[in-house]
Order: sequence, then C-alpha cells, then structure tokens
Amino acid sequence: MSKINLNKISHSYNPNDPNPTYALNPFSMVWEDGKRYAILGPSGCGKTTMLNIVSGLVRPSSGKILFDEKDVTDLKTESRNIAQVFQFPVIYSTMTVYDNLAFPLRCRNFSQEIVEERVNSVAETLNLKSFLKLPARKLTADQKQLISLGRGLVREDVAAVLMDEPLTVIDPDLKFKLRRNLKEINEKYKTTLVYVTHDQNEAMTFADNIIVMSEGEVVQTGTPKELFERPKTTFVGYFIGSPAMNLFESETSSNNSVKINDTLIKTSTDLSKLKNNKVKLGIRSEFIKIAENQKENVISVDVEKVEDLGNYKLLTAKMGNLTIKSKINRETEVSSEKVNLYIPPEKCCVYEDEKLI
Amino acid sequence: MNFKHKYVFLFPGLFVLIGILIFPIIFVVRLSLSGWNSYNGLNFIGLENYIRLFTDDPRFWESFIRLSFLSVTTVTLQYVIGFALAHMVWKEIKFQRFFRVLFLIPMMTTPVIMTVIWRTFFHESLGPVNDLLQIFDVAPKWLTDPTLAKITVIIVEVWQWTPFMFLLLLAGLLSLPKEPFLAAAIDGASPIRKFIYVTFPLMAPISIGAIIIRLIEASKIMDTVYVLTSGGPGTSTETSSFYIFIKGLREFQMGYAASMSFTYLIIMIISLTVIAKVLTKLLLKD
Repeated sequence: MSKINLNKISHSYNPNDPNPTYALNPFSMVWEDGKRYAILGPSGCGKTTMLNIVSGLVRPSSGKILFDEKDVTDLKTESRNIAQVFQFPVIYSTMTVYDNLAFPLRCRNFSQEIVEERVNSVAETLNLKSFLKLPARKLTADQKQLISLGRGLVREDVAAVLMDEPLTVIDPDLKFKLRRNLKEINEKYKTTLVYVTHDQNEAMTFADNIIVMSEGEVVQTGTPKELFERPKTTFVGYFIGSPAMNLFESETSSNNSVKINDTLIKTSTDLSKLKNNKVKLGIRSEFIKIAENQKENVISVDVEKVEDLGNYKLLTAKMGNLTIKSKINRETEVSSEKVNLYIPPEKCCVYEDEKLI
Repeated sequence: MNFKHKYVFLFPGLFVLIGILIFPIIFVVRLSLSGWNSYNGLNFIGLENYIRLFTDDPRFWESFIRLSFLSVTTVTLQYVIGFALAHMVWKEIKFQRFFRVLFLIPMMTTPVIMTVIWRTFFHESLGPVNDLLQIFDVAPKWLTDPTLAKITVIIVEVWQWTPFMFLLLLAGLLSLPKEPFLAAAIDGASPIRKFIYVTFPLMAPISIGAIIIRLIEASKIMDTVYVLTSGGPGTSTETSSFYIFIKGLREFQMGYAASMSFTYLIIMIISLTVIAKVLTKLLLKD
C-alpha cells in the first residue's frame, strides 16, 4: 500500500499532432494511503483514461506518477502492484473459484501456505467461502465480479485497487450490499480504493473524496458534503444532486446581494470585487423552504406542479421565465397557485463565469 | 386472412432445395437398392448392395479408416499450425499486414493445380525435393512408399488448408475482449499462463467451429489423392470418396456406389455429431 502522487499528468491520444487534443488536461493530485476515492463524471470525460494511467495500461503524454516517491511512470502494469476491476467481470473460466483467487499469488510464486491463508481470508470477507470449489464460470455475474475484486485483494502489496464502474452489471439491491462490502474491505485491509463511476449516488455513498471531472479536466475534489454544499463550478452544481442545483441568471446589486427579476436576494458572499455585474446564483432545491414569517430573501412564485416522490415533495415553480425547484416536506400543504419561497443567504452560491466566488 | 399464396413465395426456394438436395438423396437411396445399367435400366434388387458392402468389401472399410486417419491428422496439424500463425500475427509485429496476406496465399490457389505442382516437387527422380535431399544422401520414395505416400498427402493437405484455419482463428482472436488480457497482465501472468488460462479458453467456441468445418471439408478429400497418387501405391492412400468414385464412375457399378455413398453419409452424420459433442464437452466443459 502506498501514497499515489500524480504529478502534472496529462494525456493526449494524438500527442504528435501540431494541435493535440487532450483526453486529460494537466493536473496534479495526491491519493492518500488507505482512503476511498471516487472519480465521477459524465461518459467520455477522461475517467477511464486517468484510471488506466495509474494502472499503467496507458502511458501519460507528460507528467509523472509516484507510488510512495518511487517513479513508476515507465513501469509496466504487472510490475506496478496495482489491481484493477473492470466493468464486466473477468474470471478465468476454466478454473475453480479458489484457483481464480489464488492465481495472482501463484503467478508471483508464493508458497502454498500463504496462498491458502490469503485466499481463505479474502473468500471469507467476500462471502465466497462456500463457492471455493465450484468452477468460477458457474457463478452469477455479481459473484464473478467479487472474484475479480478478490484477485485484487489477495495480494497484500497492492498499492491500490482501481475499479472501473464495477457495479454496472449488478442488480440495484446487490449494488448497495456490495458497496457496503467494499467499505468494509477498505476498513479491514486499509487498501486504497479508487472507484470510477458516472453515478453520483454511488460516488457519494462510497467515497471519502470525490474527484469530479468534465471534458478532460478535474473540476473539483472534495468530500461529498463539500461537493454538495459548495460546488466550485456550475457544472458540479448541475451534475451532483438530484434535482440539479437551481441556477439563476442575475445581476449584482450591492456588496452582498443580487437581483433576480427585480427581486433582491441577499447572499453571504462578498461581491464587492467583481468586475462584471452578471453572475449566476446557485441554490440547492434542498435549501429552499416555503416562507413562513421571513421578511428578506423571499420570492413569490407561481406553482407549476407538485410531485410526491415518496420521502419528499418536489415543487416546480416559475418566477417569470425562471424555473425553480424545491424539495419540501411531504406533510406540507402547498397552495396550487402562488407561494412564497425563502432562500437562506448562507446557502447561496454565486458564480462568475461559471466559477464559484 | 388467406395465406394460400405463401406457396408462391416459397416455391423458388423449395424448388432449388428439392432439386439439389432432397431429390438426389431420395434418388441415391432408390439407386442403392438397384442395379443400374443401360440394358436393364433401374432394376430393384433389394438390400443386395448393402449385404455385399457389409459382408464382402473390406476395401471400403479400409478406405474409411484411412480417411479417418488422414482427416483427423491433417485437421489437427492445421489447427496447431493455424493457431500458432494466427497468434503470431495477432500481436503487433513488423510487417503484420504482409504476413497476414502471405499466410493466406495457399488457400487462394487452385487445389488441383497446386497438387500437380506438389507431385512434380515430390517426383522421386526428377523432383527438386529429392534433389535437395541428395546432400544428405537420401532419396525417399515420396509417392511410391505406402507410408510416405500418406505423409505426402498430409503435407499437401496441410499446406493447402492451414490458411483457412488461420483465417478463422485470426478472426476469432481479433474479436476477443481486451479486459481478460489486461486482468491477466495485472495478475502477473506469464505469456504461457496467459495462453493456457485466457487465450485458449476464450478461443474454445471458435476452435470447435473451425475444427468441425475443416473436418467436414477434410473428409471429402478427393482431388489431392486423385492427382498425387491416384490412391496408390496399391490402395494405400485410397479414401472413401475416391473408392466410391472408382466404383461408380470408373467401373459404373452405380447401384453399389450409391449404397456406399448412402452408408458413408449416415456414418459421417453420426460421427461428426459425436465429435462436435465431445469437443464441446472437452473444450467448453459445459
């Protein structure tokens, strides 16, 4: 296990072109030992490229990768001590589950006793103990995926286990179980886990730290809470959270307030240093409440629809040409025409040129 | 709705099917129960031909055993060599495209003509093969020694048809998913382990298909034998199809040849079904 340092890494699939296009723009990042990371972003944003660079399947066009200060940029996958789980389960179909799990150890000439001990311990954690003697091909897709994961875990020396959307083929209820399983494994073995996904729920429930990517760029790195409450760009605000963050075109009106359709909204952001008075106001639908007796930051909206989504009601309303979404308590009765909404200033995020101020 | 007009649309297909498949088979069965000559026409003689075949014609059964030996040997060799060549040009190597085309050339040539050329090569006194072997002071009787003649037939067959195996297996290799190989690399598997546990199992279904196709083709072996040795020396390279050809179209024992053909067809259907089953069990283990 080791600390992984990505130093000014970038990658282009056509580096010799006079105008190379970058699948991954230059970035630097450190992955601490034993933590859980999720790389989150829409399809084609460079998540898998980043993962493949770490595992050594792709050599970055520039930059260095250090595992505990050791430069591994030019090392091949097999000498990097990395484990990778792919989107579709990869098993050795002619072998039993036991032999599958033992394979990485046998390839490295470990003694029979160590193999047996490690395999049994990993099989126990992954609940594969009762299948050890069965041919691996007879197992279900999720059990096969566990085998792929298990092959990564049997080696004590792995720097990190990289997972490329590993739960795609797995049923939703099992997904939940497996994610919990992964967390337990992380706590038990203190293995660094890196998880690539485009599903924000997966990322939020799994990781200590989430790396949000968009179009080859690392947009924000942070804990789920940070990403949710203070998205650094409008993209993150839009991409994370369901429904997406409410974003309103607005103008600054004083040092800390903005104007949306002639309504003044106070924020807790200092807006005095802005060059431009066009900004975007972002607020999560979770934080917008129905106004009770507040005097400030109250907007009057026309209710468009109210959907009961089980654990909450989703209110969709219009203010002029703006659409506002708010999550409200199920028990709250909502008028079907006009309603006043309260926007708490401390929850407002103001964006200039799509970036958080 | 009245669907009677469907027969109009079915007719062209059915017509061809009946014309080239169903009628010939029925006719062969009828013919096998007859003697057929220009004087008596098609005279029914019951099972007489079959009784003769099963009790009084060891030559047919010998030729069948010879055929089994030749086709199993050639197909096995073709599979091994074809797989090796396909594996070689599957990886990124220099002149990959050149080799891919080069290995296909034998298949593009006309078998009969190539066999004539091979016959010239192996000619015992005039051929270049023995000319070269003179250096070692040997002059094998490629076409007149019973054992060597079989080997010569095998060499020519393997040369001619390995490219076909190569083509099927290369297509198979190119269609394999990447992940298992990446996973094996990450697990630290050596090239041999990678082949045994990843490449070969993944190629099993396509291998079975390729072997069966080649076995069917190989058991029809005729032109090579005809041109190279004419079944000789003696009957040492005579295969079923060649023997049937001699009986039917040289000696004009049409009824008897038909009974042999029909017996041969039944044996082939049964044995190929069994072989396919066994291969599936062996390679896919399901």
